[in-house]
Amino acid sequence: MKKISVNPITRLEGHGKIEIFLDDNGEVANAYLQIPELRGFEKFCEGRPVEELPRIVPRICGV
Amino acid sequence: MTKPKIALYWAAACGGCDVAVLDTNEKILDIANLADIVFWPVALDFKYHHVEEMADGSIDLCLFNGAVRNSEQEEIAKLLRARSKVMVAFGACACFGGIPALGNFTTRDEIFERVYIESPSSANENRTFPQTLTRVEEGELDLPEMFDTVMTLVQVVDVEYFIPGCPPPVDIILKVVDLFASGQLPPVGAIIASDKTLCDECERTKEEKKISRIYRPHHIIPDPNRCLLEQGIICCGPATRGGCGVRCVKANMPCRGCFGPPAGVIDQGAKLVSAIASIYQGNGKEDIDRMLEEIVDPAGTFYRFGMADSLLKRKRLPQDERRA
Repeated sequence: MKKISVNPITRLEGHGKIEIFLDDNGEVANAYLQIPELRGFEKFCEGRPVEELPRIVPRICGV
Repeated sequence: MTKPKIALYWAAACGGCDVAVLDTNEKILDIANLADIVFWPVALDFKYHHVEEMADGSIDLCLFNGAVRNSEQEEIAKLLRARSKVMVAFGACACFGGIPALGNFTTRDEIFERVYIESPSSANENRTFPQTLTRVEEGELDLPEMFDTVMTLVQVVDVEYFIPGCPPPVDIILKVVDLFASGQLPPVGAIIASDKTLCDECERTKEEKKISRIYRPHHIIPDPNRCLLEQGIICCGPATRGGCGVRCVKANMPCRGCFGPPAGVIDQGAKLVSAIASIYQGNGKEDIDRMLEEIVDPAGTFYRFGMADSLLKRKRLPQDERRA
């Protein structure tokens, strides 16, 4: 099956790509949105002092 | 004459470095007049294949922000390095690991467990985790491999210049544009900021005072005119490069080190330990033990932006524990 990749998705904050599969007639058979990046704020914020979190979590998204 | 070509990229980052470039406001037009931007995912619609199709050395200046956290970011770093005459580590994450490098206190498996199993919004009874290759009905899907260890840019490719900061301040960005436009680039390896420490630029009064305890923000109201460290509040200024405009300290917030270590300092956290030890006044082991207790999360504070660049680089991995 033919695959069209949109990689990376642009003009947004964050990382993403789209894979589109085409069937024999060139019609879209299926499409997948993938997020290729994870930094792990959920884990590495653990153990940090609570008063420091307002200085850490703004770096989830700076746009 | 063809214009020089500039590329901007983000790896493990928040986009704040890209916004800092836009914070040059109308000066962004000067940058656009000066050079053609050939790759900038946040703002322009170029894809990876466009970069792959370029000739080696065809990009004159690449401003690379973000740490290297997975195999895609490593591949793009190598690709942009090959295509670029001048590679710049732009911002704290590319220079030192930044906030994403706090992930070096944990492991990929621990992050996956927390995010995909334990998080309250996850319903994942089958314990499905991201795979580098997934077979679906229509074919195959691939994802980059997430690394255990977050790396700085220079740990992956050669880098000509370093612009620190979370994010880099606009005056430094404009200075770099001027240097680039005039062809007067500094010697390779230069860190484009001050060579002195933040304390050298800080206008607060220092009285060479000793401290006998460490305070957290809710314990005291700090005097806005006196050195925060001499008031017992952990401030990373003595171990941090200046050039930021003392932005946090002017807002009565202690420095957290986003400009990295100053000239001549290899390990930012070790330098800060030394600075704190030199002003601490206590009587014997009991006092010292108490003060150590008063510093909550020393590693995550002293290496807030610099864990990947530190001598330790990361917490020991389980496989290293077994080997030891």
